[in-house]
This record gives sequence, C-alpha cells and structure tokens, in this order.
Amino acid sequence: MRRTQVSDLVNKVAELLNAPVDLVQRSAEARAQASGKSVEEVLSSWAGGESVAASATPAPKEEATVEEAPKEEAPVVEEVVEEVVEEVVEETETQEVVEEVVEEVVELKNESALSFISGVLLVGLFTFLFAFVIPKNQATDIVSDSLNNSISASNEVIKGAEVYAELNCQSCHTQNVRTLIPDTQNGKVLKNKFANETLINNVGNIRLGPDLSTSATREPTNNSQWLTRYLSDSTSVNRDIPHPSYDFLDDDDLEYLVTYLLSLGESNE
Amino acid sequence: MKIKLFPKNEQELSKLFVLIFPLTLLLSLTISFLKNAYFTFANLLPNNSVFNYGFLDRLDTQAALGLVFGASLCLSFSYLFSKSLGRSMVLFPIVFLTLLGVVGTEFLDILVNFFFQNSAYDLGNSSLLILLKILVVFGLFGLATLNLLAKKEASIFASAQFIYGAVVFYLISLFIVRAELNVFSDIFLVNSLYTGTHIYVGVAFIYMAIVHFLMTRPLQAVLFNKTLSSITFWGFLFLLPWTNFKYYYGSVLPNWIENISIYLSMSLVVPLLAFLVNYIKTIQSKEVDGVGSLNLLNFSVILFSITTIFHMISSFENLLPILGITNFVNVITYGLIGSLVLATISLSYYLIPKLYGREVNYSRLEDITFFGFKISYLLLLINNTVLGVNSGYSWNAGANAGSPTIYGEGYGIVWSLISFNFSVNTFISLLLLGSGFLYLISVLRAISSGSITTVEEMVYSND
Repeated sequence: MRRTQVSDLVNKVAELLNAPVDLVQRSAEARAQASGKSVEEVLSSWAGGESVAASATPAPKEEATVEEAPKEEAPVVEEVVEEVVEEVVEETETQEVVEEVVEEVVELKNESALSFISGVLLVGLFTFLFAFVIPKNQATDIVSDSLNNSISASNEVIKGAEVYAELNCQSCHTQNVRTLIPDTQNGKVLKNKFANETLINNVGNIRLGPDLSTSATREPTNNSQWLTRYLSDSTSVNRDIPHPSYDFLDDDDLEYLVTYLLSLGESNE
Repeated sequence: MKIKLFPKNEQELSKLFVLIFPLTLLLSLTISFLKNAYFTFANLLPNNSVFNYGFLDRLDTQAALGLVFGASLCLSFSYLFSKSLGRSMVLFPIVFLTLLGVVGTEFLDILVNFFFQNSAYDLGNSSLLILLKILVVFGLFGLATLNLLAKKEASIFASAQFIYGAVVFYLISLFIVRAELNVFSDIFLVNSLYTGTHIYVGVAFIYMAIVHFLMTRPLQAVLFNKTLSSITFWGFLFLLPWTNFKYYYGSVLPNWIENISIYLSMSLVVPLLAFLVNYIKTIQSKEVDGVGSLNLLNFSVILFSITTIFHMISSFENLLPILGITNFVNVITYGLIGSLVLATISLSYYLIPKLYGREVNYSRLEDITFFGFKISYLLLLINNTVLGVNSGYSWNAGANAGSPTIYGEGYGIVWSLISFNFSVNTFISLLLLGSGFLYLISVLRAISSGSITTVEEMVYSND
C-alpha cells in the first residue's frame, strides 16, 4: 500500500517536473538518505511544496527538450544530485536540488549545427558526384569513343516517341533492359549511343507488359494495320489482356505512334 | 475549430497540415484505386484519356510520392523541426509560404497532368514545374539551414536531423531528375538515383523523424542511446541513395556501381539494427500507457523493417535477375510510403488534442481505420512480392528456353500467372481507400466534436 503511495508520488512529481520517473526516484532516495527523512516525506514536500510548484510550470522550451534527452546523460545527473545532497540540508535547498534535476536533465551534449550541416551536405555532394556525375561521364565517354555513336531517327519516329512518352507506355513496357543475357544481347540498350532524350526515356524501368525492343521484327506487331487496330480497340484483338485502347488519339498521333513502334527492332549497328 | 488563413506561429501552421494530410492521402488512395481497378475492370471502364493505365500510373506516382510526401514533410517540418530549435522559427512568414509552396507545387503537378495531358511531358517533370519545385525546395533548404544555425538548444535532436537530411536529399533528387539524357544508361542512372534520394532517403527520413519524436515525448520515454540514433541517421543517409542501382544488374550501367549497390544494400543491416534496438529499448522505458495510436506506430516499425529486409535480401546476385525491373521494385516504395503514412497518421492523432484542444476518442471507428491500414499495407507488400517473383521467374524461364514469353506472343501465359495478383491489388487499394476515408472522418469528428482539453502552449523567446 505504502509502495503504491510512493509510486503515485513519484509519478506526480515526475509529471510536475516533466522529468523521467526513475530520475526523480533516485533523486528522492538520495535526498532522503542525506536528510534522514523518508522517501515519502521528501516526495510529498516536492509534490506539494512551493518550490516544486514554482518549477512545476516549466517553460515550453524545457518541455520540448526533455523529449529526446539521451539516457546516457542520466549518470551525470545522478552524480550532481549526490554532490548536492552532501551539503547541509534545509528546506530551501530542496528547491535547489529539484531545480537542478530539471536543469541537468536538459543539459545535453553540445552539438555544432555547422558541423552537422556540413556533414549532411558533404554526404549529399559525395553521393551526387560518385553515384551520378562520374558514372554518367564514364558512360558518355565510352559512347563518344565508339565509331558509330549516334542514332538517326526520322521526325515521324521522334513524334511517335513523344506520343509514346505522353501516354506513359514505358510504365508497362521496357525496351530490352532485362538483366539476363538472352534478354540483353539483342537491342538498343547494349549499344550506348547518343540519342534523342525522348527515345532514351522510353526505354522503361519496370516490365509489366511484353518487351517491345524487337516488336517490329515479329508477327503480328510488324504490321501497321494490325497495330492501328490493336491500339484503337485492343479488345477487338484480345479481351483477356487489359491493354488500354487509345481511340481518343487523333489520326496523326496514332500514325506517329505506329511509325515509332515499327521502328523498334531496327538494327542499330 | 479555428484555422487561421495566415498562421502566426508554428502551432497554427501545424494545425493546417494536420487537416491537409488526410485530404492528400485520400486523393492519393483514390487515384491508386482507379489505377489498380484498371487491370480488373479494363473492359468495363470507358476507354478514354483518363481511364487508361499509363495516365493513372503517372498520376498515382505524383500523388503518392509527391503530394503525400510533401504534406508529411510540411507537417513534420512545421511541428517537429520548430520544437527542436528551442526558439521561434527565423523568418516564420517565409517558412509558412515555402511550406505551402511545397504542397502547392506538388498539387499543381497533378493538376497540370490531369488537365493538360498532351503537354504534360513538357510542362511537368521535364521543364517548368520542376524549376518551380527546385526554387521552393531550395528555399526550404535555406530556411532549414538558417534555423538550425540559429538554434538555441545545445543538442540537435534526432527528429530535426532526419528532417534536414530529407530536405537536402529531396533537393538533390530534383536536380537529378532535371539531368540531360545523352546515352541509354543515363535513364537508369537518373531513375536509380532519383528513387534512392527522393523515395528511399526522403520518405524514410521523414518517417524516422516522426518515429523518433513519437517514441519519446508522447510516451514520456527517454531516447535509449543518442549514438545509436546517429548510426541510424548517418548509416541510412550514406547507404540508401546507392541501393537502387542493383535492380539494373547486368545492364549497361558501369559494373562497379552495380556491385557497390549490392554491397551497400546488404550493409543496411547496420542502421536497421541500430534503429530497432533504439526503438525497442526506448519504448520499454515509456512512462505512459494507453497512447491510442501506439499500435499503429509499432506496426509502422514492423513494416519498415520488413521493407528494409526485402531490400537486403534482393541484393543476392542469384535473385536479382528475377526481381529486378519487376513489380518487386515497387514493394520497397510501397513499404516506405506505407510506413510514412502510418507514422504520420499516428502523429496527427497525437497532435489533435495538442493543437486543436480536442480529445481523440479511440472508438470502433479508429480501431477499424487502424486495422484497415495495417492489413492493407501488409497485404500490399506480400502480394507485390509474389507478383514480382512470378513475373520475373516467367520472363527469365522464357528467355532461357528461347521461347517468346518475353515478347508479345507468349505474354498470355505470363498474364494468366500474374493477373490474379493484380486483382488482389485492386482489392487492397479499395481497402486502403476505405481506411483513408474513415481516417478523414475520424479526424474531422475529433476536431469538431471531441471533448475539450488543454491546448499545448509553446511560448518561445528569440531574445
């Protein structure tokens, strides 16, 4: 029963001081030992005393600070509390001890904002340089050195590639970027060349539907009439596979798109 | 309920974002449901420029990774970042405008794509809007730096560290996406690093900032070890940006970067363990029981851990050809976004009494909402893992056998194997949408009719 009372008091004081319970408990025990009073008496005085009341409305700044005070600071607090309790004990000093507990809890390792900011920026710069700029230049250099380093595409093909990008076809279709040898040995991707930005973007990153890198070399996707019909109303060809129908495209855009698809699979050597 | 048009301090600003977050989440979940529904009801939906997968997929990415991420960033920045400084924010009116700018530009991105589909490719990520985004996020970066330099607290709290890291890498990701594409490998580089910086670091760090706050202050717990939180911060900051390159193993990317990605992905175990130990030990020291949304927070940690473990497992060289460039890659994104959403929901429930002075009554509505979110995100992870493995395996089996499954003719075989998982995805996204709707109702109910309680007051002085 008495233990419950002490526990309640500890909780009350901890709540008033906004300090961890175990810290308040240790402080009270140290105070009790030094003053010859019981822990309960010490806690009662803290909980009801004016001194506590004064410190029981901590500034919001302190409230915010206590939230993440590292536990490793706790031993320092304990030492300070023990040091204090060795002094002559009077009621006024109780107030000092309690206030000191609060102050010490919020005393944290001094960290320089400048060092932290510099550290984060350095890691960012390092990542940008080594994970982006250097490999990008490396790839471009390899291509620059090759004999045949550019892809020629007609205006119609480029326009078709733009329609392909606007429709976001690359969210389902890749153009030969699989990681296995049988997959990657054919097609454009292994032949690094300077190309139109839209053509590059159309290569795709996730494969949901079939790969289109050689679609123009196979039946029936090498047939412009079949492609036009499929793209306008895909259900007329296959109802099981949920391919979007692009009947909202105007005739020109549909034609460009078909021209672009028929260009896939041409040799890039 | 009072929300001021021009907030005067951080708390009034946070109130605004507590309300904005459920709305952005609902919008994102609605688009996600429509996107997934396309696969199940393709023949029933009207064939037009909106109801087609490519369009909805782009919109979904912008809503989840742009808008929801932006709203979470703004909420955590306005409340947690200011709390860590020990003073009022420097240049608060500009901070307010910048944070509105972050959410505004992300929302504008969705609007532009919706209304100007034909020119979205030019207006969107490739030119005008991205410049505006860079400007706004650069402003946020400058303000965050200024405020950190002017801090009054001795220590820099973990939450502030993570938020700052997220802002810096969000900015880097915007520069990357602007990069010029010269050769085919560039698209893999850009995509990998954009994913690594924006999604992996950005989303994970906002999540971490919220968790590091929620596991201490609301529970009156003391952070177990600051060193462990530093290991978590610097470990993830250094490793995460490199971890997406591995999914292009064997492609035209330079071999060294693919190998580094594999090894660094496996090293994620170090910051993950540091985080888990810190979390578990800190939670054990909690002084307050019965925080209503604690179970949601705990589940978000489980979700984050599973995602990171998947990230590590997929680094094995034998698995990469099966998992790379399939839906499995999305699992990592779903896991991180899911963790962030759960943590932000938890934070918003904590903030409603503090900011609006209204108690949240954890009733059956909240229980159902929490359960809905938890089960949905878990199922989403499992289902897409199965989907990724199934499709990757069938692509590779076909490729190795020289059969045409990797091309158009044999696709029917592959589709028959994976179509069920797409239908399950539709069901899961419907569950998520329902949970998002209930969450919005719950927040509105708490704000409008919750029993009155004391509002948290923060009286900072800049003297």
